[in-house]
Amino acid sequence: VTAEIVLMWVALTFYAAATAMFAIGVTFSKDSLTARALFVSAFGLAFQTASLGIRWERLGHGPYLGFYEVANALVLCVAAFFVIVAWRNPRLNAAGIAVMPVAVLLLGGAMLASKSGVPITAKLASYWLFIHVAFANLAFGAFAVSFGCAIAYVLRERSRSGKWAKRLVRLPAQDVLDSLTARFVLVGFLFWGIMIATGAIWANEAWGRYWGWDPIETWSLIVWIIYAVYLHLRFALRWHGERLAWYAIIAMPVALFALIGIPLAFNAPHAGIGGYGKDL
Amino acid sequence: VIRSAWRRIVRFLGSAGLATWLLAIVGAWSMVATIIPQGGASDPKIADWAATHPAIEPVVRAIGLHQAFTSLVFTACILALAVSTALCAWQRTKAALGKQRTLRRSERADVQSLGESHDLEITCDPALGESEVLSVASETLERLGIRTKRRGKTITAISPAWSVWGSPVFHWALLALIVTMLLGNLLRSEGLMGVAVGQTKTDAPGSYGVLHAGPLRDWSRVQRSIRVDAFDPDFRTGGIDRGPTPTLSLLDAAGEVVKTQLVYPNHTLKSGSLTIYPNNYGLSATLTLLNAAGVETGRQVQLVDFSEATTGGTVAADYVSVSDKVGKALLRVSVTVPLDRRGDVWVRGIPKNPTARLVVTSPDDKPVLDRVIRPGEELALPGGDTLRLDGIEYYARLSVVDDWTIPLLYVGLVAAMVGLTIAVVARQQIVLATVIEGPDGVKLAATVRLWRNASSSRSEIEGELAQALSEVEKGSTT
Repeated sequence: VTAEIVLMWVALTFYAAATAMFAIGVTFSKDSLTARALFVSAFGLAFQTASLGIRWERLGHGPYLGFYEVANALVLCVAAFFVIVAWRNPRLNAAGIAVMPVAVLLLGGAMLASKSGVPITAKLASYWLFIHVAFANLAFGAFAVSFGCAIAYVLRERSRSGKWAKRLVRLPAQDVLDSLTARFVLVGFLFWGIMIATGAIWANEAWGRYWGWDPIETWSLIVWIIYAVYLHLRFALRWHGERLAWYAIIAMPVALFALIGIPLAFNAPHAGIGGYGKDL
Repeated sequence: VIRSAWRRIVRFLGSAGLATWLLAIVGAWSMVATIIPQGGASDPKIADWAATHPAIEPVVRAIGLHQAFTSLVFTACILALAVSTALCAWQRTKAALGKQRTLRRSERADVQSLGESHDLEITCDPALGESEVLSVASETLERLGIRTKRRGKTITAISPAWSVWGSPVFHWALLALIVTMLLGNLLRSEGLMGVAVGQTKTDAPGSYGVLHAGPLRDWSRVQRSIRVDAFDPDFRTGGIDRGPTPTLSLLDAAGEVVKTQLVYPNHTLKSGSLTIYPNNYGLSATLTLLNAAGVETGRQVQLVDFSEATTGGTVAADYVSVSDKVGKALLRVSVTVPLDRRGDVWVRGIPKNPTARLVVTSPDDKPVLDRVIRPGEELALPGGDTLRLDGIEYYARLSVVDDWTIPLLYVGLVAAMVGLTIAVVARQQIVLATVIEGPDGVKLAATVRLWRNASSSRSEIEGELAQALSEVEKGSTT
């Protein structure tokens, strides 16, 4: 347990350092620092993966149950998505200034929560648990990267000239950022849809009903609708630019609230991904 | 005029703007519905909420927000969304067919047709041969993420025909899901049925304690029974406590066993459109009524629920009615089973030494008798009849759902996700290029169509190709 927690603190430290390096690198136009920040993020990811691997081995189940595990899994997906995307397209490094604080805050919150293992109960004992939660995490990872791209877009849109224009000159072109935001929303929309579909199938197996309009189910549908509206605005109504970027920025916290805020705010029979130690 | 108006209406209903607004309304409505308590007018939490929010309660009640997901407003929005989705899917199908035709035409394109009709021309270094121009173009496109094939004197990157069907399949599947769910609500039945160990109940409305059946539900076709063979209050398998677990048998009209299995969460009994899930459990007392001559005149199973609020830890789920020969109710008997106690809590199971408390009242609820008896003992009733307690067992409260639309919903969900995956992942593009010779020298003639998920833009392709071919020229002269 000690090794697991120590590794997680190390991961959090790396993420926090990466966040600071991204902020300094972008603010003072130090490209080499933002490039190193990506390496530091990757180190954090490695330590976090190792910690979660040890925990998985110890508890016999993946990071699906309780706030500590769920927030951890979300951070893992956010960091992994960001590192892979920025690795393939180094010009997106600067988006780390928006993405990594999300990872640091979530993981910091997780480190303050109870770290005791939540046992698998009869209702949770299903392979659907892994599929359902994995797609929720992947979806959130994609939404977080779209959030980062959208923030980068807005930052540069608002600083066409002056110091900040120079600082952000290394970012991809605005139309590329706009397109990347939409691509990640699309990927997140797909994963979120799979999360809802697998959740419905699992609910039918575990509870004998596929949809019950409980707050967690309803909010997962609300998030899907919010992103469906984004996709209609982008692809059917041809919205582009800053107002659509703002939409992506506002939508991501709603997804986060649906994942970890709703189980806390509502006493629903469905504990949801936030878990908080409740049985399903 | 009528045709024109009809077209305008269809165009409006199929417009992306309307679809977006409907989605926004459904989303906003759902958000509000999670804040406002849901339930019927008699629900105590609704009454509490009404008392604390007197100003907005009339509005909330009027628009049906207390039953938000069955209200007229929500149903109307979903129906409008279904119509909008149908029209949108139809438009996307037509567009996909057009794209598919273009893709197939492009597959047949040759040097001559491409030379006659193309989108862009790029002047190449005259020193380059045909083959070199095509190689450089192919490498440049590859660098931009467009993998090409060499076909004689042309290079091509044409998406497969299925790549254009993602969005139409997704929208048709969404429509199918909405229609199937609406149909399911009309045809399905869902209810709770209490069945004691050893008891068999027919799947009919009278057997259910709570039942929600759609208006088109046809019970005449349902001819089956459900039997509880055994009950394990602490069933464990795979190292996990599965909780109270009944063993169920499903019987057909002739009484033959169709299926028998243990039923616990994630291990429901499924047979055709039927799904049975264990909702809860309690105890049951089997009572036999004997007349003055000691002849058995009736037998009833009385269900008993656990309750922390009562003195014995249980409460009668129903009562036994004792009637005279013409069917007039004479007495009511309600049964509870005093539970064992461990510390401050009632042990939710059959007590070590089971007894039943029989409370006999008149039809107008006046107390007549109150006795505790053991299995095998009898209780003499006023009027000469006797009640015998045959035994105390568990009963399983089963959630019984009969809905043949569920497998269709699964098919719809899979189709929607496959369509969405294709829409997200599959590229829709046509890139054709060949070399033509004109008075100005060798040129690369290309046709570029980038519909969806392209790795590059048209301007980037044009610029990179022009640069690559001119760089060859620079390289050769240096």
